[in-house]
Amino acid sequence: MSAPSQSFQPDSTDLDRLHAAVKREKQDMQAGREPVPMLVIFLGMIVAIIGGGQLGVMAGGWSFNTSNPFNFAAAPDPRPADKNPNAGSDPFQTAMKKGASGYAVCGGCHQGNGMGIPGQFPPLAGSEWVLGGTERLIRVTQHGLTGAITVKGQGYNTPGGMMPFGAAMSAGDLANVLTYIRNTWGNEATMVTKEMVEKVRSEEKRATQWTEADLAPFKDKNVPGEIPAGPGATAAAAPAAK
Amino acid sequence: MQTNSSSADSDLQADNLRRAAIDKSVKGPVLFLFLNGAFWLMASTILGVLAAVKLFAPSFLGDCPVLQFGRLQPTHLNALVYGWGIQAGLGVMLWLMARRSGQELKSGKSLLYVAGVFWNIAITLGLLSILFGGNTSMQWLEMPRWVWPILLVSFLTFAWPMVNMFARAFRPEGFMVSSWYVLGACFWFPWIFITANVCLHCIPSLGALGAGINAWYVHGLILLFFTPVALGSAYYFIPKITGQPIASAELAKLGFWALAILGGWTGMQAYMGGPLPAWMPSVGALTGTLLLIPVGVVGLNHHLTTLGKHNLVATSPTLRFTFLGALFYPISGLILVLLSNYTTGATLQFTHASYGFQIVAVYGFFSMSVFGAIYYIVPRLSGCEWLSVRLIRNHFWFSTYGIATIVVTSLVAGVQQGGDLNAPEMWDQDFMQLALNARPYIIARALAWTLITWSNIWFLIHLMLMVAGLGRRSSAPTLLHSAHDDTPHAAHA
Repeated sequence: MSAPSQSFQPDSTDLDRLHAAVKREKQDMQAGREPVPMLVIFLGMIVAIIGGGQLGVMAGGWSFNTSNPFNFAAAPDPRPADKNPNAGSDPFQTAMKKGASGYAVCGGCHQGNGMGIPGQFPPLAGSEWVLGGTERLIRVTQHGLTGAITVKGQGYNTPGGMMPFGAAMSAGDLANVLTYIRNTWGNEATMVTKEMVEKVRSEEKRATQWTEADLAPFKDKNVPGEIPAGPGATAAAAPAAK
Repeated sequence: MQTNSSSADSDLQADNLRRAAIDKSVKGPVLFLFLNGAFWLMASTILGVLAAVKLFAPSFLGDCPVLQFGRLQPTHLNALVYGWGIQAGLGVMLWLMARRSGQELKSGKSLLYVAGVFWNIAITLGLLSILFGGNTSMQWLEMPRWVWPILLVSFLTFAWPMVNMFARAFRPEGFMVSSWYVLGACFWFPWIFITANVCLHCIPSLGALGAGINAWYVHGLILLFFTPVALGSAYYFIPKITGQPIASAELAKLGFWALAILGGWTGMQAYMGGPLPAWMPSVGALTGTLLLIPVGVVGLNHHLTTLGKHNLVATSPTLRFTFLGALFYPISGLILVLLSNYTTGATLQFTHASYGFQIVAVYGFFSMSVFGAIYYIVPRLSGCEWLSVRLIRNHFWFSTYGIATIVVTSLVAGVQQGGDLNAPEMWDQDFMQLALNARPYIIARALAWTLITWSNIWFLIHLMLMVAGLGRRSSAPTLLHSAHDDTPHAAHA
């Protein structure tokens, strides 16, 4: 950093200083003549290919009437023809589909075929615990179960029992899983709704696992509530499915 | 270089005098634009801080409707784009075009002042209207509809002498790289500005297409105004300061024409999957990706030009800012590709990532390049040298870290936000919870804008002192020396 010059007058006539910035500039130069490297052309082609992938099928057939690139052949309405188009999807079928993916949590012990492992994990298929009162079923999954139990005439006493898996799920998720296990592997029973799970959750705040004896009073009790569809449906949802 | 002119031959002497005369002829309008631009930049960054704070702490500043996020955010962006970006860009364009064409600004200077004053009055009233509820709710066009004809006429008033200068200039082949870009910006801005405003303000009931045109306008402004001005500036200052010619005229041509052809086709991919004819977003996605070609070509050319001269980045403020700006060009190009293609764009669309793209383009790339130009141009116009190395360093580092923080956090927030919203297993999650999850990133954004505000307040003060002629009276440039650098002043400021 050189010392500032002695002159501090704005109207200085020191032309050397006034033009110093211009004088120290480097000259403008003619640009170089290097050709475009082959690599640039090659990489440019790769970019063009990737870019082309954005065009292809995404252009939706270049039609002004198509905004969905995956559906430019104007596919028919995929919903069943006998169904009222204003109705939503069948709540029972929806619950079964979502419950099937939610069952992944249970399948580790009770197995994908719902048969459990003899002597260790009780079966769900044909189990009176599953097909019986929904009150007991919801309580078991919501709070867990421990101690000796009897399922389909077999005694089970898994150390630790069953953890309260349902407590970690949303009410809707748990209801879907329960509907699923009640209607798979030959089981058939009414669906469990989100409202039923919520009702049990609001009534029962216990922090420990159940035992078979504790649950005896709920053995055949069903949680009251509307059953919108599926086996034993009570609600007026059925007309919509006409 | 000797300060004594006795050794210089008369040709060089004449050339120096000619350039000094050119500088003198554009001094007033250029300094006017820079100073007002710097003021709006500071206003915009302060609004950026407030808007970011409002986003994570809605009760901050109380219930006054003027100071809510919905009004602060568009004011912040409009001040950045029109107050600072286009205004400072015009200043750089005017000086560059005069210099590169070797033409003085012969007449009509007072007309330029009038246009500049009208530009600033229109923006002041427009931004106030946004704050008081007159928002048109069109991105980057939030100012009321009577603003745009004023801005357009003001812009054309500035563009006209530039086009004239180019027309009168001696134009050897391959010599005019920065002039092409400046000339391009003179024509492209009116084109996209008129198209977007006429479509959006004058044609009723466009429906969803209006949103597409709006997105096209934002991308067009970035790619066909901010990009060419910043590139024109980089193509001028990098060779000027390093003393190396631009490595390849062929690459320069390719980069220019590819940008010119592709720049106007992109934008609608912001609404991919939306209610527009599918080919419109699809074409935008294609060109958004193809733009990697001009981006890569220009990056390669700059790289070849600066090879072996990187030590100058440590000393010359102009080169340091220009270099960083030029580095942000490929970065913003890559971010555009991430936002544009159907694979990653599906996650990033409608998230904080698009704010990140706007900021990396307008601030990281364009503004950094323009800062570099300002550090070069202003000493020549004001006849004094920058006062303080510290202030320049402060400006550089605070801006760099601030911008990097905003861009990185916006992108990561976008990935998280978009990923959560699209994930099937999140189908029963609360939308508000997903929005709240972005909070840490917004806090980082507020801090980053605070850093940038700090740097810009000092930049504005520094620039004001320079324009007032209170800079250093010296014939030596203000250079950013590193401690161990004892070489004499090179001629690179």
